[in-house]
Parts: sequence; C-alpha cells; structure tokens
Amino acid sequence: MKLGNVAVLGVGQVRFGVHKVKSGIELARDAALLALADAGIDLRSVNEAFVGYIEPAAMLAIKAMKELGLTGLPVTHVENASATGLVAFREAAHAVASGRAQVALALGFDKMSEMARGGQGGRGPGRDTIDSVILPAAYFALWAMRRMHERGTRPEHFAKIAAKNWNHGALCPVADRQADHRVTPEEVLASRKIAEPLTAMMACPPDDGAACAILAAPELVRKLRPGRPLVRVLSSALQTETYTPGHTFVGPVVGPATMSRDTANEAYRDAGLGPADVSLALCHDAFANEELEYYELLGFCAEGEAEKLVEEEQTSLGGRIPFNTDGGLIARGHPGGPTGLAQIHEIVVQLRGEAGRRQVENARVGLAHLVGGGSVCTVSLLARD
Amino acid sequence: MAEPARRRVPIEPGFFTISEDAGAPPQLLGSRCRACGEHFFPRRMVCARCLAQGCEDVLLGPEGTLWTFTWVHVPFFGQKKTAAAGYGVGQVDLPEGPRIQAVLSGAQGDFAIGMPMRLELETLRETPEGEEVVIHRFRPVEARA
Repeated sequence: MKLGNVAVLGVGQVRFGVHKVKSGIELARDAALLALADAGIDLRSVNEAFVGYIEPAAMLAIKAMKELGLTGLPVTHVENASATGLVAFREAAHAVASGRAQVALALGFDKMSEMARGGQGGRGPGRDTIDSVILPAAYFALWAMRRMHERGTRPEHFAKIAAKNWNHGALCPVADRQADHRVTPEEVLASRKIAEPLTAMMACPPDDGAACAILAAPELVRKLRPGRPLVRVLSSALQTETYTPGHTFVGPVVGPATMSRDTANEAYRDAGLGPADVSLALCHDAFANEELEYYELLGFCAEGEAEKLVEEEQTSLGGRIPFNTDGGLIARGHPGGPTGLAQIHEIVVQLRGEAGRRQVENARVGLAHLVGGGSVCTVSLLARD
Repeated sequence: MAEPARRRVPIEPGFFTISEDAGAPPQLLGSRCRACGEHFFPRRMVCARCLAQGCEDVLLGPEGTLWTFTWVHVPFFGQKKTAAAGYGVGQVDLPEGPRIQAVLSGAQGDFAIGMPMRLELETLRETPEGEEVVIHRFRPVEARA
C-alpha cells in the first residue's frame, strides 16, 4: 500500500544506553515529550497511539501514555520482537493513511539491560525450553560461517562494518557507544570472542531507551511546521517467512534471509522507488555480518558483491550508500522496542538536513529495515519533498 | 545386581525419543504431510508447504549433514552451564528435508561444513528427584583425522 499522504510531524529519542534511574515508562515519557515538542503539539492533538515494548509485563503501553496525560485516545500495544518499534510506526502510518487518525503517535521503549541482568535468558518461564538453549549470537554466527564458506568472506569484512558503525555512533548524540578514538577493524577483531567468527565489538549492546515518531497528513504538517523540509512516509511493508524446504522451526530464528529481500521489494514497489534512489539506509545490524547480507538483500549490490562494497567503504559516511549513519544497533544501541523508532528519528534528522557532522549530503530518501525473532521483517521508506 | 541407570527425561516433551538402551541414538519426533510428502520438525498438524491438514507422525534421523556451524564462547542462553572451552552449535540437514539447529558435541576444530553428523543425547542437569534432564545434539560421525 502506497502511503504518500502521510508525513512526519515530529520525532524524539532519548540517548540509548544503561539508564539506572529512570524506568522504561519514564524513558518513554521523555521521548514522547521530545517528539511532541518537535511537532509543536500536545497530547490533545493526538488521535491514536501505537506503543511497543518487548519486556513482557502487561499494560505498560497504556501506562506509558498516561504519563503524558489522560485524553481518552485509543492506545494499542504492538510487539514484534526486535522489529517492534518499526511495526508500531507502520501501524501509525496506516492509521493516518486510512483517515482514521489525523495525528498518530508511535512510541517504543524497553529496558533490555534489566532483562539481561535477569540472569541466563531472563525471560521467565520460557527459559528452560528447546527454544532457549541457543543464543541469538550463535544463530547469526551460523549465517556468518555459511557466508564465509560460500563466498570466501573473511572476519575482517565483518570487523570493518562494525568499526564503521562504532565510528558513525561517535558522531551521534543519542547513540550509546561514543568511542573517544577512531575504532579500527583490528580492535574489533581483538575484542572478546562470542561465537565464531563474531566478537563482542561486532555485536549490539543490550540497551535501555525510548524513541517516538508522530505522523500526520502532509497538509497538517505544513501548517504546523511551515518552512521545515517535509518528510513523507512512502511505504511500510511487513512480512513473515514464506515456507521454503529446509526451513528451521526451532531455536532463535530470524530467517530465511530472503525474507528481507521480499519485504524490501514490497516496500520499493509500494513507494515507486528502487535502491538507486535511496540516500541512506538503516538496517538490523545486531551482528555485523547481518549488515553485509542486507547490502545484497536490500538491493544495494548484486549477490556476491557485498564484500567489495565493504572493501571500497561504499557504506560509510561519504560513500555511495551510507548504512547505519547513527551507529546502527551496534553503536547507537538496540533496546528492542524503540530501535525502529530510533531508525526513523535518524532518517528524519538526516532528511531535514539536521544531522551535523554525520549529515549525508543531499539526503532525499531513507530506508529503515528490521527483522525480529519468530520471525518477521519490516521495511519503511521515507522521502523529503 | 547392577545399579539401574538413572531415568532420563527430556528438557521439553515432544521433540525426541529417549531409548531404554543408553547407547542408542535418539530420533526426532517429526511429521510428514499425507498430501505432499513434506517432512517437518517439530511435529505439526497443518502442512507448512501445501496447507493440508493431518500430518502423520514420523521419526527423523538420527543422521544428517552439517550445513553450518559455530563455536560459542559464552554460556548457554537458557542454562547456568558455563563450559570454559565453549561449545559447538550447528544446523544439520536431515535426508528427509528439515534443517535442525542444535548444540554440537565435540571440540573446537572438530567440525567442517558437509560432514556427516549423528544425533545423541546430552545431560544438561539433574532434577531433585535424581532424573537426568537431556537434550538432543549432533556429533560428527567420525572424528576428523
């Protein structure tokens, strides 16, 4: 479904990292207040909210919205694992596109650091099961090992991607990891090993955080924020897996990888665009080798050429198609619920030309991609008029 | 009279067989679609390929081919187990079709993509009643030279 009649009215994000004092709901409140201020409205103007978090306690979506006021607006809890925030964004976009809401808000928050501290899995009753035995890191390492077998990819390629994202993160004020020096691939390779060939610096941190986006019809955005570049939501696709022989049903599963290709193709088709039109992309780089696969699956190079893209630094700031300009999951951080809305925040900041030292020149179209366990994939395309 | 072997119980019921013979390999509890013949693990009622209802129960394995593997340096996700040297994880293609993701038995360096693998049971822990909690894993059929 084409969504050209939806525009971004406001975005807000609290810095990702470990927040010891504030609760998830308080982080959510802060991100939403930033987005409302950016939009120039208060909660009375919001017709509907979609709130996402992964942490399993019930009712937090409504409780988080109550921190902003009690206006009676409809609130829906959205949860789709790591893709949660971007799926909440999709729901808000469709609510505006359908005319059901003039102004819709998407909000994501999580305190992943507490889930990680909850010990060995930390997910309560689900922990002693077949599904919980294998780490997500191991799952993505299996991708990496197969890629190395088929394509001759070397750990240095993954290290180079991770170092790039660390260095992008250092330029982003809301990123968790802001290294005080230029991170090198050698440093990434020398960090603690987690699952061959992946090292700790190739992996995202379990973060706390919150992010928010407010959407409205373009006419309303122009009226409320005259003089600001108008950022439209062109498309937002969501798919689950299509069965192929050899499908893996048990364990941490985010695949098959082709799910990303199919979802991206749907998003491109709905937007009437192709990869050549995209100025910057944000993807699910929970582990650096994923990003390499997505260069191909999102259509930015032919199959088997992702390694060349890395070697030529075409996905760094200043390159042909900068990826994860805010540091991505690896450096900006990956709290879960808000991650997709942090991607939207970065794309909107870039398309408005407000990204400072990490500004992509003439940024016109941004792509946000996430996968989530289970598994799902979602891709959104945004463009500046 | 020899001391009887400890009773073995699965980490979760419904995924694999446990033989009375401690040396016999487990098999996986799978399904086969009566309409199109596709095999699945774990068991399911509706065929994921042709959507026909009423898959029949079959046993899968115990042998397959290693599709990919890794060596994990951090503790198990759902367990307290901390193996200092780490442990293997892999995906094994069964001749019937399903690709099985499981822990691997063996040392780092024992594995190669394409090698034949066989199922076995690993004891994860003991229950307060003295039962052994087991899970399926794969081991290289022959150790590499």
